[in-house]
Amino acid sequence: MRRRNPGLPRINDLDDEIRAHIALSVKERIERGEDPEAARRAALKEFGNVALTRDSMRAVWRPRWFDMAEALAHDIRIAMRSLRHVKGLAITVVVTLALGIGANAAIFSVVRGVLLRPLVNRDEDRLIYIRQSGPGIGSENMTFSVPEVNDLKSRVRTIAAFGDFSTVDFAMVGLGGEPRMVKAGVVGGSFFDVMGLRPVLGRLLTARDDGAEAEGAAVLTYRFWSTALNSDPSVVGKTIRLGERSATVVGVLEPSVPYPADTEIIANVVTSPHHLGATMVTNRTHRMTELFGRLAPGASLDAARAELTAAYAAIVRAHPEAYSAKANVQLKVARLRDQIASPARTILLVLLAAAAVVFVIASSNVANLILARSVRREGELAVRAALGAGHGALRRTLLAESLVLCGAGAVLGVLLARPLVAMVAAYAARFSVRALEVRVDGSVLWVGAGLAIAAAVLLAYVPRLPSPNAPAGLGLASGSVRITPGTNRRLRLFATTQIAFSFVLLAGAGMLVATLVTMQTASTGYDMRHVLAFDMPAPATGVGGAKTVDFYREATRRLEALPGVEGASVASNVPWRDPGFVTMQFVVEGYRAADGEENPRARMRIVGPRFFSVLGVPLLAGREFTDEDRSSSELVVIVSRSFAQRLFPNAEALNRHIWWPDSYLGKPAPRRIVGIVGDVDDQHVVQEPAMTVYHPVQQIGLAGRLFVRAAGDPYALVPAVTRVIREISADQPVERAATLEDVRAAVLAPERLNAFVFSGFAGIALLIAVVGVAGVLAFSVSARTREFGIRLAVGSAPSHLLARVVSEGVVIAAIGIAAGVTGGYALAAIATKFFARVEVPGAVPMAGAAAVLIGAAAIASLTPAARASRVDVMQALRSE
Amino acid sequence: MAKTSDDRRLELLQGTLDMLILRTLQWGPQHGHGIGQAIRTQSDDLLKVETGSLYPALHRLEKRGWLKSEWAISEANQRAKYYRLTSAGKAQLSREQDRWSQLVTAIGRIMNPAPAGKE
Repeated sequence: MRRRNPGLPRINDLDDEIRAHIALSVKERIERGEDPEAARRAALKEFGNVALTRDSMRAVWRPRWFDMAEALAHDIRIAMRSLRHVKGLAITVVVTLALGIGANAAIFSVVRGVLLRPLVNRDEDRLIYIRQSGPGIGSENMTFSVPEVNDLKSRVRTIAAFGDFSTVDFAMVGLGGEPRMVKAGVVGGSFFDVMGLRPVLGRLLTARDDGAEAEGAAVLTYRFWSTALNSDPSVVGKTIRLGERSATVVGVLEPSVPYPADTEIIANVVTSPHHLGATMVTNRTHRMTELFGRLAPGASLDAARAELTAAYAAIVRAHPEAYSAKANVQLKVARLRDQIASPARTILLVLLAAAAVVFVIASSNVANLILARSVRREGELAVRAALGAGHGALRRTLLAESLVLCGAGAVLGVLLARPLVAMVAAYAARFSVRALEVRVDGSVLWVGAGLAIAAAVLLAYVPRLPSPNAPAGLGLASGSVRITPGTNRRLRLFATTQIAFSFVLLAGAGMLVATLVTMQTASTGYDMRHVLAFDMPAPATGVGGAKTVDFYREATRRLEALPGVEGASVASNVPWRDPGFVTMQFVVEGYRAADGEENPRARMRIVGPRFFSVLGVPLLAGREFTDEDRSSSELVVIVSRSFAQRLFPNAEALNRHIWWPDSYLGKPAPRRIVGIVGDVDDQHVVQEPAMTVYHPVQQIGLAGRLFVRAAGDPYALVPAVTRVIREISADQPVERAATLEDVRAAVLAPERLNAFVFSGFAGIALLIAVVGVAGVLAFSVSARTREFGIRLAVGSAPSHLLARVVSEGVVIAAIGIAAGVTGGYALAAIATKFFARVEVPGAVPMAGAAAVLIGAAAIASLTPAARASRVDVMQALRSE
Repeated sequence: MAKTSDDRRLELLQGTLDMLILRTLQWGPQHGHGIGQAIRTQSDDLLKVETGSLYPALHRLEKRGWLKSEWAISEANQRAKYYRLTSAGKAQLSREQDRWSQLVTAIGRIMNPAPAGKE
């Protein structure tokens, strides 16, 4: 306790003690008969300099660490001075460490923000997310139907309240700007209370907004309000039109994680006629609702999961018709926070591992450089040891140097981390919306400092200290470099480690790049460059059926009259951008399913006349749809090549009939196949044979997507296309114009980013490893000047020496690669225990990575090799 | 400071002050001034401890746990800080005493070699 405060009380105590001393001394002298005044003067004189005594006391009181810190500060001053003489080395070390520390700090910030930080929602650890999935039919998120939600609500006690959320696209008019499609959430009155969210303006939706009789009400999300509306405080009370209905803006939601969907507005049920319809309310398989729950007081997540699972099993048993055995439906219950983070978890952990690998490479490279330097100064250390510096003092010298280096590295690394965090967060946002909230904070500093200190301590223990018993005298006199087998082995070990880890990163990056290249170069079956796709959803006025078809015909007719337009058509899906309908079972005339086999399934698409010629899909047989196909004429379809081949391998598919047993398209009716087109896969970026059935838009009614084929620059047509559509219908949204090429590029963006980020890491690793190999060889060459001199003197050709040194570099790389392959496979084996899917790079990326590393090692060894071959014989022989 | 006594005064050997303090306190608690006087009188005025060395030494020994201090009233009715030997201090004293006598013997042998052989 007393050590805590070594200041004032002690000084006062000492002063008392000194005063007592003098008083005793005076008293003694007076007793001996001296004059009081003289006694006093004598006593003071005898005591001597009080201030000096006090000063020397301070040294005694000082805690031990203070002395050590002072000594270290002294050492650091010396370290700075001595590092100034080796600027190149110091800069290399600092930059290398900064890269390692910066990458780690940045990734750690994002991991912390996305995976660990709590949500803003009230009592967010009581908030759960419930999901129904059908692994048997590849449906990861089936969502719920209203009857299912009601059944769960009535059977479960561990959940205090449920909140429901479904996503709807509205054509929105109001709040300024053009009519456009917005993504909206439609929620019941309990949603916001269950989620534990508050308004920043106005109010949120409550139970009084439920039901068909309530007024239309909408809440704006914070992001929409703060960006599109510039945080306009007068927005509350304004009226907006959503499709056929209207709604009043009642409030603005606080900033929160947009889950399950990033919407602009969240409205009550009455705004969506669909939500009040019989299909929505009574059809058990009409699933479009996401379900949240708040745990009842005292209930644990496990208890809720058990109860929900049991209730769900009972519901499935009670309604076998709604749950096919094949789907193998399941219920998943998770804490909302974990649910939101889960898609990003794997990618972030992989990134964290990659960053850690970069740090290991950086550290071992720095260790190499420091080791080489310490060998060069063995003479100096030996002199200091001989002069009586203990092991502790020598270590402290080394520690001071590595602290200076690592400290500088950490500072630079943390500075580097700032832009890196922004980059990594933007990247991770594709996997978890929470990444958008990630900010650089103090944790970056802690991580940076922690890594730097770890590195500094390790580095201080790398060099060998001169033992007092060793024959240090040899090098002592000359101060020259003596390389021992032990040091050499260690240097090579570090270099090999770097190569091994770099190999793992390079092979991983190579795999991602290879995947990306495959995807980008894959043929799609479409004319990618000249086709412009638009979203042209149902007009806000809610026209459907024949009128819509007329609108499409008029629109495409006028568009095709525009200069520069080669063709125009409509369809239900923009390839890759739209999710598409579910695949449906169908029955085919002349095809009998084997016993026990289900009817075949196919994708259903709706397309307008001339669709295939506009998109450049080849017509293989029969005809395209034309304006003559009408709702009143014969029902017809066009099928894809794989459909025709699979179902009619030996016969002509044309003119056969198919039925959809599902009543989705109205009463099941035979439809005649009038054409066969080439296979296109509008869902996967890498094409798979897709059984697809196309219907003419005239016989279904709604398409929603517009395609225009341009002769020249497609984007130059956008204003004209918009103008033509608005001339026909002023309220018609027509938006998101993009060529098919760009649509696909946007879909590929995550892959490109993956490849980019990992290539970045691999590039850094490669750079560091090259520096490492070059450093080791440069050191080894300079230490063997004499050996090379002798070789040259006895007749070795310089080119022979050159080849010899380069081959040493290549050998280091080869051993590193072998270690990398072995270690990489071992890591993959461990990783399979934790992750469902672990990809091991194929032969091509592996061979590529190996070639790059060997090449890099050879290039890195060229400079030292050239130096070895140019050794001046006479000087070399005299050098020691 | 009387000049006459200064002439025959001896410099304390490095490291012996601690031992002398511990030894002095073996007779019982004493204040700083008393310790200084005791060393002086017992050495027959040959040794004199400067206060600038005495007090740092006392505090150092206390910090190491060999001494304990407390304020008390002296026999001369004067408030003073008394130092007392702890059991750790006693052990340290006997260690230092051993080391000291070994040193004295060793140096004695070199300075006054025995006439013949070893015991």
